[in-house]
Amino acid sequence: MPTFTNIGKAFPRIEAEEKVTGSAEYIEDRCMGPMLYAKIKKSAIPHGRIKRIDTSRAEALPGVRAVVTGKDCAKNRVGLYLVDRTFFAVDKVRFFGEPLAAVAATSVEIAQKAVDLIEVEYEELPAVFNPLEAMKPEAPLIHEDLGDYEVVPIFYPVAGTNISNHSKIRKGDVDKGFAEADVIIERDYYIPQMQHVTIETHKAAALWGFDGKLTVWSTAQSPFTVRQLLGKCLDMPLHKIRVVSSYIGGGFGGKAGATMEGLVIPLAQRCPGYIVRIVFTREEDLQCTFTRQAMYAHLKTGVRKDGRITALEYKMIWDGGAYTEYGVNITRAAAYSSAAAYDIPNLKTDSYCVYTNNPVGGPVRGFGMCEMQWGIERQMDEIARKLDMDPLELRLLNGLKEGSTTATGQRIEDSSFMNCLRTAAEAVEWGKRDTGKYRGKGLAGLVKAPAQPSNASSSAIVRINEDGTVHLSVSATEMGQGMLTAMCQIAAEALNIPAEKFSTRVPDTDYTPYEWQTVGSRTTYACGHAVTAAAKDALRQIKELGTIALGVPVEEVELEDDTVFWTKDREKQVPLAVLANSYMKPTGEGIHGPIIGRGSFIPSNMTNLDPETGQGNPGMFWTFGASAVELEVDPETGEITILQLATALDAGKAINPQQCKIQVHGGTVMGLGTALYEEVQLKDGRILNPNFTDYKIPTIENTPYMKGFVLETPDKGGPYGARGIGEQPMIAVGPAIANALADALGIEMNTFPMTPERVLKAIQEKEKNS
Amino acid sequence: MPAFTYQKCSDLSQAMKWLAEDKDTFLLAGGTDLLVGIRGGKFKARQVADIKDIEELKILKEDQKGITIGAGVTLNEIAQFEPVQKNVPILAEGCNSIGTYSVRNRATLVGNICNASPAADTAAPLYCLGAIVKIAGPGGERQVGIEDFFTGPGQSALKAGELVTAILIPKPYPQGKGVYKKASRTRSVDLATVGVAVQRWGQEVRIALGAVAPTPVRASSVEKAINEENVTDAAQAASLVEKDISPISDLRGSREYRYHISKVLVRRGLEETEEVCS
Repeated sequence: MPTFTNIGKAFPRIEAEEKVTGSAEYIEDRCMGPMLYAKIKKSAIPHGRIKRIDTSRAEALPGVRAVVTGKDCAKNRVGLYLVDRTFFAVDKVRFFGEPLAAVAATSVEIAQKAVDLIEVEYEELPAVFNPLEAMKPEAPLIHEDLGDYEVVPIFYPVAGTNISNHSKIRKGDVDKGFAEADVIIERDYYIPQMQHVTIETHKAAALWGFDGKLTVWSTAQSPFTVRQLLGKCLDMPLHKIRVVSSYIGGGFGGKAGATMEGLVIPLAQRCPGYIVRIVFTREEDLQCTFTRQAMYAHLKTGVRKDGRITALEYKMIWDGGAYTEYGVNITRAAAYSSAAAYDIPNLKTDSYCVYTNNPVGGPVRGFGMCEMQWGIERQMDEIARKLDMDPLELRLLNGLKEGSTTATGQRIEDSSFMNCLRTAAEAVEWGKRDTGKYRGKGLAGLVKAPAQPSNASSSAIVRINEDGTVHLSVSATEMGQGMLTAMCQIAAEALNIPAEKFSTRVPDTDYTPYEWQTVGSRTTYACGHAVTAAAKDALRQIKELGTIALGVPVEEVELEDDTVFWTKDREKQVPLAVLANSYMKPTGEGIHGPIIGRGSFIPSNMTNLDPETGQGNPGMFWTFGASAVELEVDPETGEITILQLATALDAGKAINPQQCKIQVHGGTVMGLGTALYEEVQLKDGRILNPNFTDYKIPTIENTPYMKGFVLETPDKGGPYGARGIGEQPMIAVGPAIANALADALGIEMNTFPMTPERVLKAIQEKEKNS
Repeated sequence: MPAFTYQKCSDLSQAMKWLAEDKDTFLLAGGTDLLVGIRGGKFKARQVADIKDIEELKILKEDQKGITIGAGVTLNEIAQFEPVQKNVPILAEGCNSIGTYSVRNRATLVGNICNASPAADTAAPLYCLGAIVKIAGPGGERQVGIEDFFTGPGQSALKAGELVTAILIPKPYPQGKGVYKKASRTRSVDLATVGVAVQRWGQEVRIALGAVAPTPVRASSVEKAINEENVTDAAQAASLVEKDISPISDLRGSREYRYHISKVLVRRGLEETEEVCS
């Protein structure tokens, strides 16, 4: 085992002091200057034509500086994968709360008053809120021009329908697989919409400079992707756009892509020299930003008596909402991962992304995996019961091992799925029966790869300061996950300079190098590779200078902390500070100048998928894990008490074990929230619970004691063997709880969240039927 | 947040003056319902009169009449007041089941009552304790029983220009055990889907429920069965509660669930307090 000096250690968060003292800068602390405040006029209907927008009364209000509508703004559509959206509705609205117009004014109150004075006349169109209905040929069309939209050619929209993507997986022969099966289980599952509820809502600000340069401050997770999308949407060259990131109060996918920057830019264009800022209220955040897509699943699994799964047929119908520019990729990722953590020889999957007039679906921690693996992990337990097998044994038997292939035929290079399952199970004393009458245990496995295009790239710059300390520049965003600290530790390890001597900042597209997006649990891996390369590049330069300074061969030069030395005699040394900036020979001739290391990364192990069979290599890496739970149910009220909860993840190499553990705990709680409480309740496309009175998330008082395990089976492709674990811990919690409920009371929960009322209903139905 | 005029009151007469001058004056004690309501458009406040530092409203005392709780006293102060803990712990339970600890540092009992939510967690305990509401207004002072104070969802017996100065928990205190049982979607920081207070008084029992009718209600049918008809089976008695309630379906629970949970919680309340009764 290699020994490490900077990684694998609980190095304190580099921004900890800023955050605990309240001096850390978030967006509202950073965009300072002459300010204007923006508010948006939102659609009051879910689907209809805009007949007339009258802004004259708003414009006449004292304090109002600019009013814009969709017609006044850039006509180009925007979208990451399927270019189907405009920042403001033009001609037509497709969901309740869709931005129609915006006002910039000297105060938030005036802006709101002006918004209320904007008159909108609609011609309502028939709306559709259920994707099963929306798929039917007679359903009202939400995007008439779907066939003309620009789309990344790995997605398959069906023109003339509401289906914006149909991803297919065809592996082996399912008919043959079912013919070999002794038991076939077929069932429907459903997952409702949920929201990220980040502690900081979505915010953006824009400044149109007198030189025509656009500066955007944003809570976006991905400043470079925002810049790229804006450039395309506004027909502007990228050197004229600067996107500035701040610390972000949580992202969880909801701030991926371009979200709301486009709402303030047209206002800023009309008020050059002013910073125009919008801050979403909690209600706006819940209604007008990405929700997790609802999903209807139909699963049919065939299994032999000995427990081997022979075939799986999986149909997923996703409620993409009114726009699916980002959402299509969730439905694609769910398809290519649709065998979950299991080795299933015959597989047929159809995953449909469907437009509805519901709020816009988009990325949420897990990116389709919570929804997709819910059905599979529920069905695994049902199979185990049918075969009278231990659910753990059934999973161990079918789990992906080294050399197994995924749904798309990708070979698994390293898997510790079995270890994760055993670790989680052991933590809740699996197999030990408690005496309690209404107690049960359950477990579930999980797997997830980053969902990204194969050309998603990263870069990093390492600058050696004049005194031998280091500045690291990357453009991954810091949204609470500890990325900045991990990147410094990786660079420190590669350079062999202590992490304490590193500084780094949040990204700014004018000053920090390209990064695709901070999503998909990919940063430690992808950005980590770029950082390693940049550090090694700087180290190479240091050693080359050391050769000249020490007069020894380059392979005999080493760096440790602040000293460059000859490996054969440490006495022969030169301080790094002497080489770092302006090294010169005794004669006065200068050599090299400042040391700047650069590193870039793009995955080489990914391929596109066959359009008909879905076969190929979509996973940059695969992270495995498992959750296990013991719970007690109050059979009269349906209330669940979690007695034990454990999640085990394989991080490959924990760059910062403490941060990894925090991620595991945080993800487990988020999984618990979605399993027990969280649901966006919709009526005709309108959210009935857009506040914390009725959208419930766990608080510390109802968070149970948890055990988090971080295993380390090195990833052959990862930096120092590391792979991502950011999203994964929430995936298996829901099905583990449902499986424990089945164990406790024999009830089958096929829907999230498992509220007391739903659990009670299941208990009552079971009593009625028995 | 819509704009309003803020008036800080140093004595009761000032508060009364503001109430009399502008009917769109709202009183602020803790503000935990008021400010949320103003922001959400529920209350159209032109003027907010802050009464929380009026000395005579901060009264919290026990004397021969009972326990007097002024309009400026917070839920945490009440729950931690020894005479409450000793004599009427059911009220402390009700107070403690509202919001978070930090919310309870601001929120007041009188505010909880004046908000007149049928789900108010303090209401069912107050119904069981026969609390008396002290009101001051242009016509002088008056008192109403807690059960006459609630008149509908968000509606109380307060007339224009009136305010509640205090709540009296009258002596004699109940001899016997009391419990407040709450069903909610999460176990913390949540509104009651159903709230049930069961208070023994020697051989008798008083039961009140929240969130199952337009106002908090007494479970008169259950009380009658136990107190007058010698029904001793808790489940049998509890099942009668369906005659006393008329719940609706909303985001927090369906009508059917509320009927079911009401019976369960009344029965459990009876069982848990039984030891003292027999």
